[in-house]
Amino acid sequence: MSLDDKFSALRKGLLEFLLLKIIAADKVYVADILRQLSGTEFATQEGTLYPLLSKMRRESLVDYEWQESEAGPPRKYYKLTAKGRDQLGDLSTYWNKIHSTVKGLGP
Amino acid sequence: MNKVISIHLHGVAFQLEEGGYDALRAYLDNAARQLDGNPDKTEIIADIETAIADKFTGRLTAGRNVVLTAEVEAVIAEIGPITNDSDSASNDKAAAKSNAGPEPTPTSSNQPRPPKRLYRIKEGAMLSGVCNGLAAYLGIDVTLLRLVVAILIFVSAGTVAIAYFVAVIIIPKAETPEQKAAATGPSQTADDFVRMAREGYYEGIKSFPDRQARREWKRRFKRDMRDWKYNFQWQPPTPPNVSNPAGTCPASSAFPVATPLLSILKALLLFAFWFVIFSLITTHAVFGIHLPWGLPFWVGIILAVLAYRAAVAPVKALRRSYYYRQQGRPYYWNPFAALSQGLLTLFILAVFIFLADHFFSGFHQALLGLPDCLRNIVETIQQWWDGR
Repeated sequence: MSLDDKFSALRKGLLEFLLLKIIAADKVYVADILRQLSGTEFATQEGTLYPLLSKMRRESLVDYEWQESEAGPPRKYYKLTAKGRDQLGDLSTYWNKIHSTVKGLGP
Repeated sequence: MNKVISIHLHGVAFQLEEGGYDALRAYLDNAARQLDGNPDKTEIIADIETAIADKFTGRLTAGRNVVLTAEVEAVIAEIGPITNDSDSASNDKAAAKSNAGPEPTPTSSNQPRPPKRLYRIKEGAMLSGVCNGLAAYLGIDVTLLRLVVAILIFVSAGTVAIAYFVAVIIIPKAETPEQKAAATGPSQTADDFVRMAREGYYEGIKSFPDRQARREWKRRFKRDMRDWKYNFQWQPPTPPNVSNPAGTCPASSAFPVATPLLSILKALLLFAFWFVIFSLITTHAVFGIHLPWGLPFWVGIILAVLAYRAAVAPVKALRRSYYYRQQGRPYYWNPFAALSQGLLTLFILAVFIFLADHFFSGFHQALLGLPDCLRNIVETIQQWWDGR
């Protein structure tokens, strides 16, 4: 079993947290997000991202607005809502806790 | 050689190779299944379609407007499988109370369509596909155009025939899928229908007060649209409504003599027709009755042709439907059958003319007078044309 497989559930669970982080930094559309994640362990695809983003929107964590693009149809640009910002703060705290726990245990 | 299928992805027209269309269809159907129960199903699929459209646009260049099967497969691989969030079903409450976000604005439907070019289209061509290609280019009925050309050849004493052969030489034949797509343009009826319906949809969506109703409207629209396009483009060669194929025909077993009777009727009509023509040419009158209002006799001939076509068309259609019914096959228009039937008719006609010429001196005289008669027709038309 490869490392990738071992942590696949972890990566999946962290994706939402990372999306919140990316969207918090700047208004982005899906291709931007994919670009930022590509090359990392969290590289993903539209087929995963769109359902996840729409779920996050249902939970009022993110919202989007339409913006014209210079080529092709208008794009959805995502941004964080107030609730999303709170959530990001909570998750960051929690992530730091996990991180220090992992560091503090064992050798 | 591959068939090309036109599709719309959110208002943007694309032409896919048949294999690519199948792959995309399967992918989107599967995506829809995956997202069943997800309250945002329609929207996610719309997003995915937009992403696909973006990627297609990125792959097409100015000179090439057909997306190849391999490219469709690559794009699908890039988008990846749809992963539904398992907890989505429990989030209906959240969806209900979430404030209404901005509605998707209609994407521009006046996307530049692939340019049409003039090609000869061999599929379904009579001679070399000039009329076929020109009809596709002008967006008119090919039979009508052929009729006009045939009449023009006759009237112009062959000038148009020369123009036709020049056209055969200089107009290229549509051979690659791209050329074929450019020759016919996007499959007009289907795509225009879809675009118009889409516009109506976006008008309609504004009138819905609450989000839930809009969503339902959207979902139904999408489904109807898919079904409609699917049925339109994938009409099997044998239509499913076999039970009543030609509209009002009863089963042939009730009328075993229907086909021969109709044949006799048609033959009688043909005979009457030729008698009318013959008497018009020789005596400028039908059954001794002269044409009213002093109409020239060639107008009478044209009227006789039109009347004959009108009278014989339903008989033909009935006979054909009976024939196919007896064969146990549903009736549908077969151009090859029509063509061979036409050739057969011409042959029989030639035999009749030969025999008549041989045995009836009156007919022989009329035949000898035919060139003069034709010249008269041409001159009358020319005079009428000049005198306008």
